[in-house]
Amino acid sequence: MTMTDSPPATDTAPSVTSPAVAGLYDALTTTDHKRIGRMWLNTGVLLLIGTVVLGVVIGFERLDADSIDIFGGENAFFQMWALYRVSLALLVVVPLFIGLATVVVPMQVGSTNIAFPRAALAAFWGFLLGAGIMIASVFAAGGWGALDRATADERDAVALTIVGMAFVVISLLLASVCLATTVVSMRVKGMTLLRTPLFAWSMLVATSVWLLTLPVLLANLLVAYVDLHNGPGTFGGGLNGSAEIWIQISWIVEQPQVYAFVIPVLGILGSVAPVVAGVKAGRHGVSMALVGLFGLVSFGAWSQSFFQFDPAASVAYDEKFVFVAFGIAALVPILGFFGGIADTLLRGRDNVTGLPPAHLLGALGGGLMVLAGVVAGVVRVIEPLELGGTITVSGVMNLVLFGAVASAVGGVWFWSSKIGGNELSPMMGRMVALDFTAGALLLGGAQVVNGFFDTFDHPLAVPTEDIADALNIVSLLGALLLGLGALGLLASVARAMRDGESASDDPWSGQTLEWSTVGGSFTEAPALVTSETPLLDASDEPSDEGEES
Amino acid sequence: MTATATGLPAAEITRPRTVLVGTMFACAAAFMAFVGVVLYYVSERASARANGEEWFPDGVVELGPAGFVFATLILSIVTVQWAVQAINNDDRKNTFVALALTGLFGAAVFNQLWFIINDTGFALNASTGQFLFFVVNGTFAAFLIAATAFLTLTFLRALVGQFGPRKADNVAAAAFCWNTVVAMWAIAWYVIYVTK
Repeated sequence: MTMTDSPPATDTAPSVTSPAVAGLYDALTTTDHKRIGRMWLNTGVLLLIGTVVLGVVIGFERLDADSIDIFGGENAFFQMWALYRVSLALLVVVPLFIGLATVVVPMQVGSTNIAFPRAALAAFWGFLLGAGIMIASVFAAGGWGALDRATADERDAVALTIVGMAFVVISLLLASVCLATTVVSMRVKGMTLLRTPLFAWSMLVATSVWLLTLPVLLANLLVAYVDLHNGPGTFGGGLNGSAEIWIQISWIVEQPQVYAFVIPVLGILGSVAPVVAGVKAGRHGVSMALVGLFGLVSFGAWSQSFFQFDPAASVAYDEKFVFVAFGIAALVPILGFFGGIADTLLRGRDNVTGLPPAHLLGALGGGLMVLAGVVAGVVRVIEPLELGGTITVSGVMNLVLFGAVASAVGGVWFWSSKIGGNELSPMMGRMVALDFTAGALLLGGAQVVNGFFDTFDHPLAVPTEDIADALNIVSLLGALLLGLGALGLLASVARAMRDGESASDDPWSGQTLEWSTVGGSFTEAPALVTSETPLLDASDEPSDEGEES
Repeated sequence: MTATATGLPAAEITRPRTVLVGTMFACAAAFMAFVGVVLYYVSERASARANGEEWFPDGVVELGPAGFVFATLILSIVTVQWAVQAINNDDRKNTFVALALTGLFGAAVFNQLWFIINDTGFALNASTGQFLFFVVNGTFAAFLIAATAFLTLTFLRALVGQFGPRKADNVAAAAFCWNTVVAMWAIAWYVIYVTK
């Protein structure tokens, strides 16, 4: 067998007596995409809890940054604030989607495994290593450059933060290559690109955008690292590292790039809604085009403060026409997509009885938060409002990224029978999904409004208006709700793993190929695909009348 | 064709070009990383010129040696595509010769690059311009080494008979990777050595 051939997707362990050793050996050597996906998901959930706790503490200190000092100084507070933002995007949202996709996408396209399974496994361990280095170095007085440019000891820790972050980015890129290749080249016969299920398609769009934008972040990190060690100090390397390193990389958590991390939200919603409604979604091709368009306008590697090609014009990058145009254009595809979802749900409203399922609440709630974030993003780019540099920027980030977390929760509940095989509590799922949605709305919404009162987007900014203090309290309440949601998610998953009942292979009468697997594996060759909903076509029940394919 | 549990006929097994597709994605990412570094160069140079500052001392960065690098790389495109053509025709002898020649060109480019960097006498911390000169050329050198390593691995695997006309994707993937590196130099050559 050559290095690039895919080994059989089996879990093998040496003949050892200790289950812990066997488990570790299996985790280090498995080539089973479901196992690798679960490792991504578990790590993402744990990092979510850590990130949300950090967010709560930051929110608490922000209530009165002058008198409350939890982190031990202004610089430490700034670094933790930056860590929270980077973590939410790169250590939580992207890993959750990669985990979900690593489990589901190969099944959706009718493949028995992910492309390059060993590379996918290496990506996970590289991510874990990088995340560990990055977090540890920030707590060891590192981060993205000192605010005061004073402490010489910080230099090595700052360098370590950059190295850890680079490890994380390279690992995410490797995982993206595996997923994108799976969708492009491992689709079953008959599944043309236009018949690809919406979640798999959204992952192809998302990973493509990540592959084209995150390398630019690597370039930022490379320049900062070399400058830090022996450069002229132009890029944050001066005097042992300055906060200019953060200025160079902060574009990843601002629009339009932050939208790139939430593209799979549309895929999850597009997969869940037709199944819940029990009808075939209308105009699959249009939905695919809208997801692609959203991916196009979320390409944000160009929108950074160091890329100024016309200095004489003296226009900040976020005041240029193209930035405004991207901000407004992002609303078009997402509104169109929601129009399609509304149509699907309305056509199948008679099929929805009782409480809406957890996966619909998560997918819809998360999607709506992303929509709210994009709307806030449109408001943010309207120049007369002068919201650039205010906390509205953070509000947009929190709305879309926690919306993505809510959506991922919906995805985990929807595909739980494929992920772990055990049934997750439906009631707990509803509570967690609603909790994340409400938390995102309170945290992000209050920050968006707070920007109108000239509260700057900096942890040490002092509010200028009394109402800004009140809005900070609302944000803190939102963060606390998110903390409860994260704990609820962990408790649900732990309970399902310990004593959950085995879920049936197709509990929702699914429409795409993953629902024809038994125990998460194809027991026979996947069905010949003749449309984007092969299982719906094969079922005896007639689909909704008047639908369009 | 057998029936499946869904009642639909089973799909035929496809022959995916997984390695080639994966390499294309990876190369696109590598290319964007290089573009990111070059954008720093372009942006800072624009700022320096707008402020009336000197970017490079006159006559230090020469077009000639960089042009030789480009010419060598263009030759290597021919040889690497020759390797792809040969493996598709099951012509093992020509595959080996073409891959070896491409690797040789890669080594020559590395040597020329080393000369260019030493010839300028630049220091990493002397100025922003000199710093970015090092970073852009160094990044290119790193990708050149990676592409050469990929090519060498492909050569060794071809040597032990792992590739043939029915399994030529790995050679095509190595060629794509190599051509990406050539495209990187085309950008660096124009931005640094032509427009300086």
